[in-house]
Amino acid sequence: MDELRRSILKVIGVLGLSAGFPLLRTFASENVVPNEPVSTPSSKQLGLVLDIDKCLSSAVRDACISACRREHNLPEITANPERKYKWIWTEDFGNAFPDHAHEHFSETLKKQPVLVLCNHCSSPACTKVCPVSATWKRKEDGIVMMDMHRCIGCRYCMAACPYRARSFNWLYPRPDIKGADNPVYPTRTKGVVEKCTFCVERIRLGREPACVEASKKVPGGAGALTFGNLSDPDSEVSRILREKRTICRQLGFGTRPNVYYIV
Amino acid sequence: MTPKDQDKMADHLISPITKTGRSYIVLLFALGMVVTWGFMAWVYQVYTGLGVTGMNNNVNWGVYITNFVFFIGISHAGTLISAILRVSGAEWRRPITRVAEAITVFALILGGLQIFIDLGRPDRVFNLLLYGRLGSPLLWDVNCVSIYLFSSIFYLFLPLIPDLGILRENSNITGWRKDMYRVLAVGWDGNPEQKRRLEKAIGIMAIAIIPIAVSVHTVVSWIFGMTPRPMWHTAILGPYFVVGAIFSGIAALIIAMAILRKIYNFEAYLKPIHFNYLGMLLLTMAALWFYFTFAEFLTTGYVGLTEEWEVFRSKMTGQFSLLFWFMIVSMAIAFFLLALARERWPIGSTCIASVLIIVGMWIERYSIIVPTLTKYDEHGHAAYIYAPTWVELSITLASLAGFILLYVVFAKLFPLISIWEIEEGEEALKTKLEDMKSYLPDKVS
Amino acid sequence: MNDKKMIILGLVIFLITVTYPFWYTLLAGAKVSRPVLEKPAGETRCIEEKAFMTANHMQLLNVWRDAVVRNDIAEYTSTAYGAKYEMSLTKTCLKCHNKREEFCNRCHGYVNVNPACWNCHNEQKGIN
Repeated sequence: MDELRRSILKVIGVLGLSAGFPLLRTFASENVVPNEPVSTPSSKQLGLVLDIDKCLSSAVRDACISACRREHNLPEITANPERKYKWIWTEDFGNAFPDHAHEHFSETLKKQPVLVLCNHCSSPACTKVCPVSATWKRKEDGIVMMDMHRCIGCRYCMAACPYRARSFNWLYPRPDIKGADNPVYPTRTKGVVEKCTFCVERIRLGREPACVEASKKVPGGAGALTFGNLSDPDSEVSRILREKRTICRQLGFGTRPNVYYIV
Repeated sequence: MTPKDQDKMADHLISPITKTGRSYIVLLFALGMVVTWGFMAWVYQVYTGLGVTGMNNNVNWGVYITNFVFFIGISHAGTLISAILRVSGAEWRRPITRVAEAITVFALILGGLQIFIDLGRPDRVFNLLLYGRLGSPLLWDVNCVSIYLFSSIFYLFLPLIPDLGILRENSNITGWRKDMYRVLAVGWDGNPEQKRRLEKAIGIMAIAIIPIAVSVHTVVSWIFGMTPRPMWHTAILGPYFVVGAIFSGIAALIIAMAILRKIYNFEAYLKPIHFNYLGMLLLTMAALWFYFTFAEFLTTGYVGLTEEWEVFRSKMTGQFSLLFWFMIVSMAIAFFLLALARERWPIGSTCIASVLIIVGMWIERYSIIVPTLTKYDEHGHAAYIYAPTWVELSITLASLAGFILLYVVFAKLFPLISIWEIEEGEEALKTKLEDMKSYLPDKVS
Repeated sequence: MNDKKMIILGLVIFLITVTYPFWYTLLAGAKVSRPVLEKPAGETRCIEEKAFMTANHMQLLNVWRDAVVRNDIAEYTSTAYGAKYEMSLTKTCLKCHNKREEFCNRCHGYVNVNPACWNCHNEQKGIN
């Protein structure tokens, strides 16, 4: 009887250990609580409002995209366009808003360029699935943040994001960085995922994201991108959302994006 | 069986261990070369980055994840045969259990390896343990597959113990190998008390491992199911993957049995009737698989939700239709082979069907992962279709070779057919007859 | 008993080989020297004392990394001097220690460590 009990205990021990260690570590680690992936009601949710008409101007779009590229040392990928670094980029209206581009939308309208970026969703699909909390939704301002030091490169977040807003470092990025030289912001290494972080490093200094700032400097770009606190009823973004007709990308996914488009 | 017959049987089943032919060495070398080539391809991948594969920011999962799901699926062979048939008292399982259990362990190891190969930063793999987030299906997967791996190793080892005792006593085995078997046999001497305890332990493991196996492939399916991607986010994915796993597992088992039967002259043990019965199980799983596939595609296609429709169309009539329909046709041919030719031609029909099914199931995994991730334009056409590179193909081939290599090494160390279980089956003939008599009505007085 | 001689011989060879770093250094004596670091010009002190930084700068950087990236805390108060600094390798440390070859790499090369930081983080003058 002792032998049987011993072997049962051994079985339970082995099973328990193999399951328990990750469990134990997770509960013991302080990273369980602070990195809540699904939004909790927070006092601040940063968001962006884009004016589709104003962004039709290629000057505005190019200014935004190159400002982001310069700020974050984004590599230029010409060899394989499917591996372009997409922090903020352009999509056709039909691709950005497939649930709005119905059959009788004209081809011209469907091909109109729209600036798209990470939506910093309130219920992000990506943060739910990251196995190591390398991406999470910040409580203080609702930004969906990336920790490139933690990322193991499993690309689950990329598989989960229905907006395809994330990019992976397929090769060592530095040789492809041309004309973008911001030494204060680190380049990344191969094997990690990256995406727009609403210029967290600039927000900390009280500035606006690089794309927003750049769009304001372009003639006719004022009001193309508006950035602010969606939870503050007196902010500019809240005012626009109250007064203008706005849409989001693919609300059907249930991710509750925080990037809005004035139509 | 007389003790003399028993000894002859034992000697025959041990002969792969005691006799090493030249073809074995050649096979070992060949497999080793393929594995080494794949390993070098992987080193190149780690050095240069995952950019050496065909993946990109849209199709960011490709052949490696397909292989992962495929191998974990194959691993359900052992559980079904060994555990379910043991629990249900199916006597015909006896010569098959060891082959099946070995497939499970090695398939799990290779499957887990695919994830490691797919990581962008494999040096940070321990982050999964240090900072693992329980909310992530990938972590559920790490947990479930680990539990399943350890349980399977244990479940392979337990019924191996009496055979290890036989090996320890065998006169042809001397030197360090005898010592090895002595240690591994953990003091087995076959007395009734030990037998009782072993049966109990195996019985407990057999029952415990069934829900574990079901949980494993359900959790693997939830890696896809818990994302909002079109044709991934469907409730049927859990049961679908489990059915597919058992389906491909039995197919793999049949192929393994057929090959081993030929190489080691096991015709007396792996008989047409075993293939016939396994073929019946395979036919059942095929019917189930067709049912689930039909249900999923009918539901998706009948309603045609926006994002789902373009994925559905790409599989049915678009750029992935060749792959998709090839899979359906393969499975259909397999189905009819099994239904019509199984009785009269058990080994041949089940083997051909199994090969068709294995290839079909790999394509099925691929066609679940890649079409959903592909980016289509407004007309449902994809400008760029994912194509694996030589690195991915080398590593895939090397994984297959690695699986066979592990198996071949296992065959050199342990008997592939459970000697004691067959002897036990012979002894059980009498009690089985009594059991069957008890099913019939009692005498009316 | 032949084995005894071989065993003792093997042991002696092993001991000599394994203690090589120690006796070689002792014998070579003055020829081996600690690395000389070129300190930044015009600065009198680091954010903490030299002994602390030498022993703990790796740990400090890890703490800074998690604080800035994961917890959005960017201000560091020096325990030795009470002064406030921004927690940033590039902006704070490398502002003064801007010659990686002459400062950082000398010690790192001497003790043969390869910190992975330089794959991403840059010195102020540009991306290498």
